[in-house]
Amino acid sequence: MSDTDNPAPAENRPTSSQNWPGQDRTDQLVERVQQAITDNAPLNIVGGKSKSFLGRSQTAPSLSTLEHTGVVSYEPTELVVTVRAGTTMLELTQLLAQHGQMLPFEPPVLNGGTIGGVLACGLSGPARPFAGSARDFVLGMRVINGQGKALRFGGEVMKNVAGYDAARLQVGAFGTLGVLLETSMKVLPLPEAQLTLQHELQSANTTDGIVKLMRQPLPISAAAVIGTSQFIRLSGSASAVSAAARTCGGEEVENADAFWQSIREYEHPFFSSEKALWRISVAEYVAPIELDGDWLIDWAGGQRFIKTDLEAETIYAAAAAVKGHASCYSALQMADSVALFQPMDGVMRSLQKRVRDSFDPQRLFNPGRFHPELDA
Amino acid sequence: MSSQAAETSQLTATDIASRRQRFAQALTAFLPASCILSTTEELKPYESDGLTVFKKTPLLVLLPETIEQVQAVLRWASETKVPVVARGAGTGLSGGALPHEEGILLGLAKFNQILELNTELGFARVQPGVRNLAISDAARPHGLYYAPDPSSQIACTIGGNVAENSGGVHCLKYGLTIHNVLAVTVVTIDGDLLEIGSSAMDSAGYDLLSIMNGSEGMLAVVVEVRVKLLPTPPSAKLIMAAFNSVEDAGSAVGKVIAEGIIPAGLELMDKPAMVAAEAFANCGYPTDSAALLLCELDGLEEEVTAQIKKVSSVFKACNVSELRVAESEEERLLLWKGRKSAFPAVGRLAPDYYCIDGTIPRGQLPYVLRRMEQLSAEYELPIANVFHAGDGNLHPLILFDANIPGETKRTEELGSRILLLCVEVGGTVTGEHGVGVEKINEMCVQFDEDSLVQFHAIKAAFDPDGLLNPGKAVPTLQRCAEFGAMHVHHGNIPFPNLERF
Ligand SMILES: Cc1cc2nc3c(=O)[nH]c(=O)nc-3n(C[C@H](O)[C@H](O)[C@H](O)COP(=O)(O)OP(=O)(O)OC[C@H]3O[C@@H](n4cnc5c(N)ncnc54)[C@H](O)[C@@H]3O)c2cc1C
Repeated sequence: MSDTDNPAPAENRPTSSQNWPGQDRTDQLVERVQQAITDNAPLNIVGGKSKSFLGRSQTAPSLSTLEHTGVVSYEPTELVVTVRAGTTMLELTQLLAQHGQMLPFEPPVLNGGTIGGVLACGLSGPARPFAGSARDFVLGMRVINGQGKALRFGGEVMKNVAGYDAARLQVGAFGTLGVLLETSMKVLPLPEAQLTLQHELQSANTTDGIVKLMRQPLPISAAAVIGTSQFIRLSGSASAVSAAARTCGGEEVENADAFWQSIREYEHPFFSSEKALWRISVAEYVAPIELDGDWLIDWAGGQRFIKTDLEAETIYAAAAAVKGHASCYSALQMADSVALFQPMDGVMRSLQKRVRDSFDPQRLFNPGRFHPELDA
Repeated sequence: MSSQAAETSQLTATDIASRRQRFAQALTAFLPASCILSTTEELKPYESDGLTVFKKTPLLVLLPETIEQVQAVLRWASETKVPVVARGAGTGLSGGALPHEEGILLGLAKFNQILELNTELGFARVQPGVRNLAISDAARPHGLYYAPDPSSQIACTIGGNVAENSGGVHCLKYGLTIHNVLAVTVVTIDGDLLEIGSSAMDSAGYDLLSIMNGSEGMLAVVVEVRVKLLPTPPSAKLIMAAFNSVEDAGSAVGKVIAEGIIPAGLELMDKPAMVAAEAFANCGYPTDSAALLLCELDGLEEEVTAQIKKVSSVFKACNVSELRVAESEEERLLLWKGRKSAFPAVGRLAPDYYCIDGTIPRGQLPYVLRRMEQLSAEYELPIANVFHAGDGNLHPLILFDANIPGETKRTEELGSRILLLCVEVGGTVTGEHGVGVEKINEMCVQFDEDSLVQFHAIKAAFDPDGLLNPGKAVPTLQRCAEFGAMHVHHGNIPFPNLERF
């Protein structure tokens, strides 16, 4: 055979043209996991520790991804960025913005938050119902599993159906299916123009108006309801945004970027409260949920935050009644006995438990942090 | 592709015949006789999927009509340890629905009802045997549609689409099947009914919907699918651009994206594909050029008009040799027709053609095309290329004649070399057609042993006895060892210096 079995010449290899700052700590992280296997001692996987309000806090020794940082490759015209898990969201979003691009799922940056943390917690911002979620934009992932092996799933290309999509499966698993090392994500251009419209509703917390607008071909990129105020963000070319604004109606909001950022970062005045904060995930069209508390409705109605003193069981029952699920966003103030994520049962629970078994048979990764019923 | 990929049964013809009879008898306990196919003539049409080089006769074909029947069949299969291969329309191109000689083929064709078309709330609940296009056809009068549009959409089923995570020409902007499916109801190998995903945008626990999409019938049988319906864009415009070199066309694609524009579709054809498509569809392609781009822009009228201008000037700056914006809806559809019929069109050029499905980082296109030209010369087999250029998904079509001794084998080898070339430049052996039996060997190059072990563990979490579609999608380590040995035998380890992932 000819020379065609030799590797591609350097200029054709899929490496980035630039040298990005950062460091590869894969070997050390793998070693640390292998040690934990030998000692049969669990690990508390941490990045910037910005999301301790989610899931049960851990007492196990930490495995930090914070030194495993940097962009591995970024080619703006390929619309793909590959980064190590410990890279902070601030650095990553700034780099993308310099090239006129963004993570379309609009994840929170938080104080010191890392991309690994965002994906482990499966967090997406206001754009979620329109652009897609964190998992939708993940193309590939490097992960250490509970056998101490560094694995690679997916890849750096947009379309890839080789093997089970174990990369996307990691998103929102809170590290319980492995230590995230590196991810490749699809990025998109920043919109040319944005505009937010405020509209007063007849009755509080209703999403009917939004749901109607969503059936029309409008460039909506976010939709929220706070009390009787409905907020619609439009994104796209300047001409499309102004045409759509005429269709939607309402008052233009000033400083709208700051408003959406405050929702994305959980910094809106709504979020500061003595009461516990819960998130209920339901179909966007579900009628206002009858639970006592204050509401902030994002994701066009798909993600509803409630501040309340109600018992966890009451909230889980209400969420289940509308075919949704709830999770607690005030983990630190909850007693150990309280489930922080909607408990699962039956066939679903045993299947999910077997999935956990398949990645982490010894329950080394974050035991108890996510769904304790899967850890038993 | 390797014809040896599919294992053959060790059973004698008499064993097979007696099992066939015994199983058919046992299954009448759960299924009406009309749902059980067992004669040679009845089984014949199910011998292969769209990849017809592989053929096998199943023990039985079952065509259940209710979910309860599917549950009963799977429970029976699980108890008696009989392999089950699910099948939609059988348009798959990787042998995913190739029957198992000691197993049953579970056809879902009778599940062909749209259960709910909710145009107010923007979703549809459909049975798995509903054809992809039937969903959009039903939704269109309400100004809505289902976005993923594989070229096989008149025939392929939504169940098959989920199993393959199928794409289409509009995926660049609107995503793959996984991005447009909200939930699936499945029957597990134990016969349990389970909803994965929900009406909400996420679900408690792990996102199992991620691994259901693209799982090639290996994890569970899909019996209902909830899909997202999107509003039809009020305006869609198509630009056709011809170039004197494929490099120019390739770089034009990168430059459109660098402008911040995400076209609804962005397709590239090389000269042989374009010439074939033109001969087939008479759509007015400039066949004297080297490469053709079709770029569709959609959205609000205002946005589309602005983008058409921008894209046109990008193309002009890339040495475009001919540029045409479709003036009318008829012209737009005609220009698409050529592309959408590229497979059958190329199919007319030779007695047989073999469609490859790799994805590469887009920037690697000129290099990959050059290497393919060399390979084509080396194997003395012509190749025509159609390319989902926007997302890097390449479909080289190898022309051959199966009646010429040795040509099928040479074609298989060339196909395999092209797939390995995709892996070499950082891509994948399958962008949308799935691994099936076809690319099982090439999986050994794309994934290391540890990752394959993890895949098998995932499979075992759903199907501990390995009864669902055995032998597909993920190679055993033993198979990889044999494949590796085969290559060493030829004096080449595939890419010794390449990091294996
Ligand atoms: C001319 C032509 C053009 C094509 N163009 C495209 C294209 O543009 N994009 C693209 O992505 N593909 C394309 N394909 C490939 C094929 O059409 C897709 O893979 C399609 O999704 C297969 O659907 P099907 O119903 O025919 O499935 P089958 O071929 O019947 O089955 C495919 C796989 O799905 C499994 N399966 C089927 N139904 C179920 C179920 N209910 N539950 C669990 N598993 C199930 C089977 O076991 C098998 O593994 C093309 C094929 C042809 C022939």
